[in-house]
Amino acid sequence: MPEPQGASLPDRLIVEDWDGLTFRVNRFAYRSEEIFERERAHIWARTWLYLGHETEVAEPNAFRTRVLGGRPLIFCRDSDGTVRAFLNACPHRGTVLCRENEGSTKLFQCFYHAWTFRNNGDVAAIPGKDAYEAAGEGFLDSMRLRSVPRLEIHEGFVFVAFDPDVPPLLEYLGDAADYMTMIREQHAAGMEVLPGTQLYSVRGNWKLAVENAMDGYHFSPTHNTFVGYLRETGFAVTDDDQYAYNLGNGHSLLVLTGHGGRISMLWEPRFGEDEKRRTEAHRAEMDERLGPERARYVADESHILFVFPNLLLFDLEGLSIRQLEPAAAGRTDVRAWQLAPRGEDEDTRALRMKTMVSFVGPGGLATPDDIEAYEAVQRGIEATAGDPRPGMDFSDMSRGMVDEVKGVQGRSIDEGAMRGFWRHWIKAIGAEDALAATGPRPAAFLEGRNVR
Amino acid sequence: MTRSTGTVKAGGREVTRAEVEDFLYEEADILDAWRYDDWLALFEPGARFEVPATDWKGESAFASGSFVTDDWDLLRARVKRLKSRKAHAENPPSRTHRMVTNVRLHEHDDPALLRVTAAFLIHRARDGEFDPYAGRYDHLLVVDGEGLRFRLRRAVLGHELLRPGGRLSFIL
Ligand code: FES
Ligand SMILES: [Fe+2]
Repeated sequence: MPEPQGASLPDRLIVEDWDGLTFRVNRFAYRSEEIFERERAHIWARTWLYLGHETEVAEPNAFRTRVLGGRPLIFCRDSDGTVRAFLNACPHRGTVLCRENEGSTKLFQCFYHAWTFRNNGDVAAIPGKDAYEAAGEGFLDSMRLRSVPRLEIHEGFVFVAFDPDVPPLLEYLGDAADYMTMIREQHAAGMEVLPGTQLYSVRGNWKLAVENAMDGYHFSPTHNTFVGYLRETGFAVTDDDQYAYNLGNGHSLLVLTGHGGRISMLWEPRFGEDEKRRTEAHRAEMDERLGPERARYVADESHILFVFPNLLLFDLEGLSIRQLEPAAAGRTDVRAWQLAPRGEDEDTRALRMKTMVSFVGPGGLATPDDIEAYEAVQRGIEATAGDPRPGMDFSDMSRGMVDEVKGVQGRSIDEGAMRGFWRHWIKAIGAEDALAATGPRPAAFLEGRNVR
Repeated sequence: MTRSTGTVKAGGREVTRAEVEDFLYEEADILDAWRYDDWLALFEPGARFEVPATDWKGESAFASGSFVTDDWDLLRARVKRLKSRKAHAENPPSRTHRMVTNVRLHEHDDPALLRVTAAFLIHRARDGEFDPYAGRYDHLLVVDGEGLRFRLRRAVLGHELLRPGGRLSFIL
């Protein structure tokens, strides 16, 4: 049930109580179309968003179309090799210009009145241009393809912003940036996105997908069958030494050391003997190239990195990029790609793809249960909508809050990363007043960590 | 390898379309009845099960991302999982209703094998939703005196984006 039309924001979206050590989120935040619109306007229209990876448009003239914050975009590399992003709408009367999902072209031609544009945005041809003669060259200039206001690339990850006044990308990424560098450093030849995108839609709010990724608590109960499969292949998953970090600006990180092997970096029995040999060789090369300390961070730890608001990097057995596109309050379009080392040998690649796909994606052995979980949340939170009794319509995220008071690093099986996310979210949508805090906030939350 | 006829020679005998249709219809009934052990028995040991991504252009399952790329170990793990009460995404199990049609037989370079293409339309009911999944099958079957077995079972989705529920937790 949608909330009543025109209902204003509840005055308490988050209730944080430092005396009782509780942290509660109003379930309205997952249901309300008003919140959804506010997120579009305040978050998607005003922060850096992950668009895609440079290697998806590897060659000059390559293009892909994509949608971010509901806006159709062309993501391309122009004939000179520059990566660009244009609003996919004809400057003439607004027709979607490029109606293919991907391909290679030097020119984009609008079918409506046949205006044609170069892939650097210049007008190439306007039929019957003489009719605009009086307007002169200024007219042609004003009819260039509209670029997104900002585009910056970090380690091959292409970000765009619809607001020209966002801070520089690196400043925005802050401590998250180095974890992306660590991904690039995994292999001397660098990484590339493989073809074959998992494109799917879930019946759940985008924030539930973020919470699920930052929620180590659910792993054993939700993924019971997957944990069983791992155990049978000779690997026992543990929760030990797994931590959650808030990296600032809404970004967060899980560091997982008890999670499992990493193809070509950290061997486990299900990868087989050949892979053991390859892993040893690769690890020696990494020690040499990066130094043993850095190599240890890059190779021995699994990471789940969330870059606010729409990028999740699953740096686990292999590497998956997941992009979230909220389509409505209760629906999220998800796009997931596999990122793999360039020029990887065939056997490793086969092992990587089999291993990753068996875990991630809606056809895997684990992700379906995650999706089941947050789709079930989306249905369940209707139960208390509009409940007049106080406190009924809230979800609890207090787990591990006592560590925040003590200044102990939060564990991945607690809910500290979620709390960090929500504290940032409420600022980002401009509703800080709707965070009701009682008791003094502890002096410092542990944030970030120095791996450099 | 691509000629399609009502009858082909494979495994040293004539295989008719009716025999292949019966095999696929039987499989559909087995899956709609959640008889996963019986389903696994339709595969030869070592067989594979694949569901490519919706933007698949024919790359091997190792060269591109996909929804399912099960080797024999993973296929058995999938069946074991689906039979478990703890496969939350299929507990309670989805109700499915399968239609298999446009069955065509194609000769294969390997005389023991038969390539079969068919169209499928599966309706899935779950959680108050009723979702269609459409696509085509592109299977490799091993033929022997007894009957037919999957060596490769591939379901290629016809969707641009898998809008109806991201949980491909049932068998396509
Ligand atoms: S709207 Fe594109 S040419 Fe007229
Ligand atoms: Fe999970």
